[in-house]
Amino acid sequence: MDLDELKKTWNEMSTQLPVNQDVNFKKFDKMSKKKLRSKLNKIIIPEIAGSLVCVGSAAFIGFNFYRLDSPAFQIVGIITVILLVILAVISLLSIKQLYQGGDLNKSYSDTLKTFATQKLKFCRLQKLNLMLSYLLLVTVLLLSTRLFGRNEITDSKYFWIFSISIGYIFLVFFSKWVAQKYNGTIRQTEALLNELSN
Amino acid sequence: MYSKVLNSFVDKKEDFIKEINENQGLIFKIASVYTNCVEDRNDLIQEITYQLWKSFDTFSGKSSLNTWIYRVAMNVAIYQLKRAKKKVPVVPLEEAFLNFHVPDNTGMEENWQELKRHIDKLNLLDKGIVILYLENKSHEEIAGIIGISTSNVATKFSRIKEKLKQQILKK
Repeated sequence: MDLDELKKTWNEMSTQLPVNQDVNFKKFDKMSKKKLRSKLNKIIIPEIAGSLVCVGSAAFIGFNFYRLDSPAFQIVGIITVILLVILAVISLLSIKQLYQGGDLNKSYSDTLKTFATQKLKFCRLQKLNLMLSYLLLVTVLLLSTRLFGRNEITDSKYFWIFSISIGYIFLVFFSKWVAQKYNGTIRQTEALLNELSN
Repeated sequence: MYSKVLNSFVDKKEDFIKEINENQGLIFKIASVYTNCVEDRNDLIQEITYQLWKSFDTFSGKSSLNTWIYRVAMNVAIYQLKRAKKKVPVVPLEEAFLNFHVPDNTGMEENWQELKRHIDKLNLLDKGIVILYLENKSHEEIAGIIGISTSNVATKFSRIKEKLKQQILKK
């Protein structure tokens, strides 16, 4: 298939369409709004639920702060609360970005610039989100020994040796996965932005 | 006064329907190029039509109506990309084309899929330029819609042509 054939195929597509479809304004207006809302809800509801869990957990740690009996655990407690708040903020920022529309009368390249910039921001936020989630996993594990009471398992040194080494292996694979997931998109988007600014 | 307003609204509706009917092929093709499954494509067609209706009053007449429709449709496609959540397509696009094609036209369907595969490999800027080239737009018109200089369109277009040739040869 050469370029002329591509053009021919493109033009032929127009002849394959049903002619003069009616535009039902009332239905179409309602449907558009409803459909978009339900689609967005699928993304927004889990994000908001996630943020609420973060805020709720931070409050739980705050109320039980007296159980953290040593300065080391208190520092871990403060770090955990900060992490939970940051994660909730990241989630809400992602939603805000999703809702941001734009001026449709702008040129295509301007829209692309906005799109690429927001995509970069989103990918970086997600990368940060995932790394912070991992850190949170570690701090929550440490805190659980104080917040939910000491027991035979958490007092055993084998538990700590085992969980720290497994955690480290997990961190190595997890970081590689995060890098793989977002670095390609970030590179492509940066290249696009670069091309747009030339 | 009321009947005057009503009449102008009816006129506006009629004008809009006429424009949509004249440009539905273009809207359909743009939506097909920017999506990968029939559900997303139909949503995008609906969203483009809705946004065109919403913005119909804001059309300033600085460019031709046709140029404005291209611009809005392609911009909506980009905004929709932002909202598209990654998911497993329910109905692949290939299957969906059966709704539009006459039964003995399977060759054309294959050609369209091949065209889409080539276009999908381009970045979003190149994709926009190629769509307008395929729509027989001049470099000046492409520059107006994309928002870059005519000389830049020419440079980029010769690069895209080369990329497409390489892709076609690789196949």
